[in-house]
Amino acid sequence: MNVLNVSDLSIDFPTARGVVHALADLSFSVARGRRLGIIGESGSGKTTTALAVMRMLASPGFVSGGSIRLGDLDILTLPEDRMRRARLRRVSYIPQGAMNSLNPVMRVEDQLKDAIVAHEGRTDREALRTRLADAFAGVGLPAHAGSLYPHELSGGMKQRVCIALGVILNPELIIADEPTSALDVVTQRQVMQTLKDVQKRIGAALILIGHDMGLMAQSVDELVVLKDGVLVEHGDMRRVIENPSHPYTRELVASVPLVGGESFLGNSVAAPEITRSREDLALLEFENVNKAYGGITALHPMSFSLSGEEPRVISIVGQSGSGKSTMGSIMLGFNAPSTGRVLFEGQDIARMSQHQSREFRKNVQAVFQDPYACFNPFYRVDHALGFPFRRFGYATSDAQVQESMHLACQSVGLDPALILRRYPHELSGGQRQRLIVARALMLNPKLLVADEPVSMVDASLRATILKNIYDLKDSHGISIFYITHDLATAYHVSDYVMVLYKGQVVEVGPPKEVIGDPRHPYTQLLIASIPWPDPDREWGGTTTAAEDIAALDAMDHDAPTVFRGDVPGFRLDVGE
Amino acid sequence: MTGVPGSRAGELKGWQMRRLESPWMNPKLFWGAGLLLAIVALGIIGRLFWNLDLAFTGAAPLKLPPVGFENLRGQEGAWVHPIGTDGSGRDMLALIVIGAPNSLFVGLLASLIGMSLGIFLGFSAGFIGGRTDDIIRVLSDVMITIPPLLILVVVQSAWGDVSLTMMALLIAGFVWQSPTRLIRAQVLSMKQSGYVQMARLSGASTMHIMFREMLPNLVPYLFGSFIANVTTSIVTAVGLEVLGLGPQRIPTLGRTIYEAINAGALIQNLWWWWGIPTLLLGLMFIGLLLINLGLDEVSNPRLRKLQ
Repeated sequence: MNVLNVSDLSIDFPTARGVVHALADLSFSVARGRRLGIIGESGSGKTTTALAVMRMLASPGFVSGGSIRLGDLDILTLPEDRMRRARLRRVSYIPQGAMNSLNPVMRVEDQLKDAIVAHEGRTDREALRTRLADAFAGVGLPAHAGSLYPHELSGGMKQRVCIALGVILNPELIIADEPTSALDVVTQRQVMQTLKDVQKRIGAALILIGHDMGLMAQSVDELVVLKDGVLVEHGDMRRVIENPSHPYTRELVASVPLVGGESFLGNSVAAPEITRSREDLALLEFENVNKAYGGITALHPMSFSLSGEEPRVISIVGQSGSGKSTMGSIMLGFNAPSTGRVLFEGQDIARMSQHQSREFRKNVQAVFQDPYACFNPFYRVDHALGFPFRRFGYATSDAQVQESMHLACQSVGLDPALILRRYPHELSGGQRQRLIVARALMLNPKLLVADEPVSMVDASLRATILKNIYDLKDSHGISIFYITHDLATAYHVSDYVMVLYKGQVVEVGPPKEVIGDPRHPYTQLLIASIPWPDPDREWGGTTTAAEDIAALDAMDHDAPTVFRGDVPGFRLDVGE
Repeated sequence: MTGVPGSRAGELKGWQMRRLESPWMNPKLFWGAGLLLAIVALGIIGRLFWNLDLAFTGAAPLKLPPVGFENLRGQEGAWVHPIGTDGSGRDMLALIVIGAPNSLFVGLLASLIGMSLGIFLGFSAGFIGGRTDDIIRVLSDVMITIPPLLILVVVQSAWGDVSLTMMALLIAGFVWQSPTRLIRAQVLSMKQSGYVQMARLSGASTMHIMFREMLPNLVPYLFGSFIANVTTSIVTAVGLEVLGLGPQRIPTLGRTIYEAINAGALIQNLWWWWGIPTLLLGLMFIGLLLINLGLDEVSNPRLRKLQ
């Protein structure tokens, strides 16, 4: 018995540049108790599909053909008031950003209560209370969580409240739209387990929308692969992942970097390693740097020095809130340390003359997480490349600036003719991020701080961009601090890995040791929580996610850092 | 949204699509600017073709109606005074030709000064922060709570006669707060944005970041705020004039209304005396409102419609 039948669904968006076919002739169905995954990159139409099923398509999008049947209901012709009653009771939607989908001025239990009252009318207060308690217990939240406001809950807890809200009326179909994309791996595993448990208990069908092949492999029975609004592959999850028939699916599966797997960097030619001229002073040094915001320590005291003689890639990994981005902004001089000093070639970056400060800026560049924010929407993209080039005195003539821009674009695999002279909004996220890498390449700094450079880029492009960044080290001799939450990519690109947890360095060493064979319980947990695109591989081992998180909280925070070996050119000391 | 499988997209013709390409080709903006330009044109063309001396107490018959109407005394309108004369024989057309641009001028000047102050203070508060920010913020918050008309009434009654420019300056002292707050808020959020960080990484100076990176992105907001301020300034100026507190010797729309009320034009059914200046003010406000709505759509693409 199918809960949902979608047949030949087409959705069009009329825009100023003509009609965009967001979805073309999509057909699929989901049976009771089954889990269907819809995977695709941004713009593939996966969220549009979900919204069409809820009949919540944003204007000006409209359904131009096909049908959606939910059990006995024909969604597309249902009168609005009946559709309203069907939402949540028969089909519920768990949105992507739980942070933004709860009302910030209401206690969460009142938001659940609203849902029940809206659909069932006023009910007995006592019965309501037990139902709410059950709902919270059902998603593994403590009973008192209901009386809290959304800002008092963590991201994972908020997402679980959204799940509780989604299942409180026992719908036949749950649509979860990237429910974990804003969460770190440990919490992701817990939320997904909660969602699967609840779904099994109420026997509903689940549609999971996502872009992560690993998460799909661990969560769904059946998989739909979308590309540009067209279904490219549909079938049993195991079959699709192990034996993909469409080249795009193969590309998606292959784009997931694996710890210990084959390097996605390809067989990098053993280029003659470029070494910078020997200097007595270390390129970048932290001297007992720590950072506290009010009473909260974001970064515990640490010292390191990077000699920069030979280029190195140092990865800094950790969950959100581990202090890794704080470390990056301290390196860039955007954020002053609370105590301690940051030295660039022996000079304290807080006390630099104008000339020294220009040298520092010239030699320490960055790639940020959000490629959409990095370009001033007012200027053509040339501005972002040409301005620093001129500013730092590399430019001799306009023609030479143009030529350098062309060269830089070509070396990150972009066609200059299609990219330059455009406005940022005309380019995709991946193109923009590659342009930022091209910018760094043009300036040829000694050090590059790459703060989550690929976390907002589509999976199929991640490897390419990381390869571009990695090339900076090989062919230009640039040392790189790679800040990331993704251990698998850190495993492949780095020479040295630092694992941060709550502002403390818990484990350091070469990636083969730290990530390949972790010793510290936190590192072990991080690695166990990565969802593998392999249906046979158990996600997270024998313990449940909740147990792991409890163990983590109970962990001794003053445990010493585990040192796993050194790499020449980088030295780290922790503590006072 | 609903499941009507008709092709709405097909009905959107090519030219409709094209019209949308530049957000500045906005019909509201077009009509609003048209109305204001018409008022300015009235001032210019009037000056060229009409005898402005008629705006002073003259030899013309009193209370003459516009052409095609009759006043209570049974006099008919004449083409020498196409829209009539007021209670002391001044030609209405000449009054309006001088008065309408004057009112607009006060509004524009006051708003321009207010905006400049606002841009300067807003950028200082947002960028420098700390004590400077505290002082500017508290000052503008306090000023926002004070009704400008109240203070201006007191000031102007003490002052006596003022010139147009003086009045604009006084009003400007009350229209800088909201642009200050707006710009401060925008600067604060923009300071954290990726492209400002990129500019800092590029070794850009503070001046470059403020005026080359941030200001261009503020332009739609600034325009919107400017137009809103022009409206406020005109309302304030007209308010003062209608109370008889504006410039005493220069004809303005507000002053004409004041005199009409004073002379009992309402009960004498001299509707053209107060009605025509009111109509012009109304058109001016509608024009400003349309421009403001249009600018809103330009700066906020989500408001743009497809049809």
